[in-house]
Amino acid sequence: MSLPFLRTHCGTVGARMWRDLGLAVLVLLSAAVESNSTSPPGKPVLLSCRSPEKETFTCWWEPGSDGGLPTTYRLYYERERLEGVHECPDYWSAGSNSCFFNKTHTLIWVDYYLTVVASNALGNATSDIFKMDVMEIMKPNVPENVTLLVVETEDSPYLHIRWEHPRNTDTESGWVTIKYELRIKQEKNNKWKEYMSGTQSHFSLYSIAPGGVYTVQVRCKLDHGSWSEWTNSTNVKVPNYVQNERSFWILVATLSAIPFMAAMCILIVKRENVKQCVLPPVPGPKIRGVDFHLLMSGQSEDSTNALIINQNFPLIVGWKDQMEEYLIVTENDIGPPSDASHCQKRKKSLIIPAGFCSDWEIQCKSTHIQNDCAGGTKNETGNFPKNNKSLSGESLSYMEPSKLQKQQCLGQNFVNTEATDPSPLNYDNAVKPFTNSGYVDIRKHVENTQEVNVKQVDYSRVEDVNGDNVFILNNKNLAFNSSGYMDFQRQEEKLSEDYSRVKEVGSNNVVVLQIQDMSADTKNPHATGAHKMGVCTELINSEYIDTIPAPPLM
Amino acid sequence: MLLIWCAVLILACLELSTRVGTAPICSYGQAGCHTPSLADIFDRVIQQSSRMHGISSDLHSEFEQYFFPSKNLIGKPKCHTHGIVTPADKENAQRLGREQLTEVILRLLGAWGDPLLQLYRSMSQDQNQDFNHYSSNKALEISDMVHELRDGVAKMAEKMKLSGVLGNTVGYISPEGLVPSSSFSFYKHGELNSMDHHDLLYCFRRDSNKIKNYLQILKCTTLPGLDC
Repeated sequence: MSLPFLRTHCGTVGARMWRDLGLAVLVLLSAAVESNSTSPPGKPVLLSCRSPEKETFTCWWEPGSDGGLPTTYRLYYERERLEGVHECPDYWSAGSNSCFFNKTHTLIWVDYYLTVVASNALGNATSDIFKMDVMEIMKPNVPENVTLLVVETEDSPYLHIRWEHPRNTDTESGWVTIKYELRIKQEKNNKWKEYMSGTQSHFSLYSIAPGGVYTVQVRCKLDHGSWSEWTNSTNVKVPNYVQNERSFWILVATLSAIPFMAAMCILIVKRENVKQCVLPPVPGPKIRGVDFHLLMSGQSEDSTNALIINQNFPLIVGWKDQMEEYLIVTENDIGPPSDASHCQKRKKSLIIPAGFCSDWEIQCKSTHIQNDCAGGTKNETGNFPKNNKSLSGESLSYMEPSKLQKQQCLGQNFVNTEATDPSPLNYDNAVKPFTNSGYVDIRKHVENTQEVNVKQVDYSRVEDVNGDNVFILNNKNLAFNSSGYMDFQRQEEKLSEDYSRVKEVGSNNVVVLQIQDMSADTKNPHATGAHKMGVCTELINSEYIDTIPAPPLM
Repeated sequence: MLLIWCAVLILACLELSTRVGTAPICSYGQAGCHTPSLADIFDRVIQQSSRMHGISSDLHSEFEQYFFPSKNLIGKPKCHTHGIVTPADKENAQRLGREQLTEVILRLLGAWGDPLLQLYRSMSQDQNQDFNHYSSNKALEISDMVHELRDGVAKMAEKMKLSGVLGNTVGYISPEGLVPSSSFSFYKHGELNSMDHHDLLYCFRRDSNKIKNYLQILKCTTLPGLDC
């Protein structure tokens, strides 16, 4: 009976409960919403301070959240040598959230301890302590009035840059020292080039390109502080001035180049003629009857044969008999002397290849007598090979007749000298031992001329030259012919009395002598020529070889 | 060989002659000496002080970087030269006058001779190997510079007195007279710890800046010219 009443009552209570709950939630929510909009402020942060001229400074901070309420910010500072806490003297000069310290409040070389306090209705918030010294926070303003000027001088233009110190800095009293730095860019590149200017407020840039556009920026710093910002760019265009002088010189150069080129062309075209004129050809050496090129090509055997064969070996005559004979030997020109005048000219000149005996010369003379101009005279010309430069050159020596007797050794010698060098061209060696005492057999010229066909047969003729300086003498009876060969006839009588025929010359200054039992016409001993001049020397010292019937030296 | 000896002799002669030929700076005012002008002395002294400040700044920043990264938490160091009254802004400095300014400079320089030497010794003997060779060499360098600078400024003062620019009130100040002995108790004669090193470097950085600035002011008031 009360149950239905109770049920309705319960329903009503539940509904009320829900309503209350909802209301409570609503109230709470509104309360919460209301408390978010107002709260104590957030913590501000001091950002930085800066002094542009070392007389004042400014500090900036960043506010935290303001808590929805109007928040005030105050800056308090403590300072070394100053009691108490002080507040910022100027909040407005430097803008919002800043504090400006003017000259009276600024001291250098003292520490400031700054704090910013944000406060609103609900509470405060204090920033961290910011410690600073004005000495450390210097950063000047930008330099002013940057002006560029292109100065045109005779040689080359240059860029003169001027500027002024920032307005508020006092450099005159020495309170601050400003240092400047500038950077310059050409329009084409994107690269700045930086220059230090020190304390000067001007700068000159040389070697600028005409027609270029230059951009300049300047900045400065105080003492050991930070650099300022760069100034705005200042541009200048270098005029493309006409370089009259230079064009003039270019014209001159071009005009003068034309005849120069012409001259060069002519020279090149006529270079052969020029060569002839400037460098006349030096007459080359020549040996009569010998092809120079053949020699050069290195066919030594044939050429040396030709050389040697071409020579006329003088006969060895009895030394004693000929002691009083005088001999004047003159040089002959290349080729057979053809005229008497030619010969006469060369009377006094004497060319003697040292290796050759005067006998040889005489013999040369005699054999070529038909070609010689000096018939009957005692003048003789030697038919010397002209391929010896030393002959025609410095090694000339006028030989006194007496010296002839002192000449080098006999046929042996010439063998040696020729043996010293496979190429008979080189008679230099032969020149040196000239002073060795030696003797030369001198045949009477008269005899020679008259007895053309009768030769003293005392030595051998070189027949062949092998590669190793070996001469093979071949004692033959050679018929005299126009090429200059000589007949050797032996004067057995004489030989047997005075001389030994050299059979062979060994390598160690050894001479192999032949026993005198040969007939004039039969034997053809071979003798090998020695190589060294030394052999000759020794021989010569002995002057002649006495033939005592003795076994041959070996 | 002979040629070489000749060349050596000639070079030696040239060197000697050049040595003799240049005018030495006379400290005793001998006759015939070429003494530098006051402007030269000023320039040299200012250059030296600038360099000294630079090195001390480097040392200090090195120290802070490696030993005290959170620099804002460092306590307030007290320098032993706080007894020397120094102008802290431009007006005061200008108001001070040349003689007093010179005296202040000399006092400051005199006060730092010994402590810097102590600093160097302590750094080079450092057991903890906190300082490397490079840093201790810098300390030696600034120690030497302080002594040189003091002599240089004294000479400059003499010259200024001679030329009448400076009054005679600046007398020779002995190092002991400059710094009251009580201030030496700041630093233990013996081992200096890292805090002491830091304080010394901090204080010297500031004082060297002062010295440089005062010299600059002195120059520009005495010889107003190009660089001022």
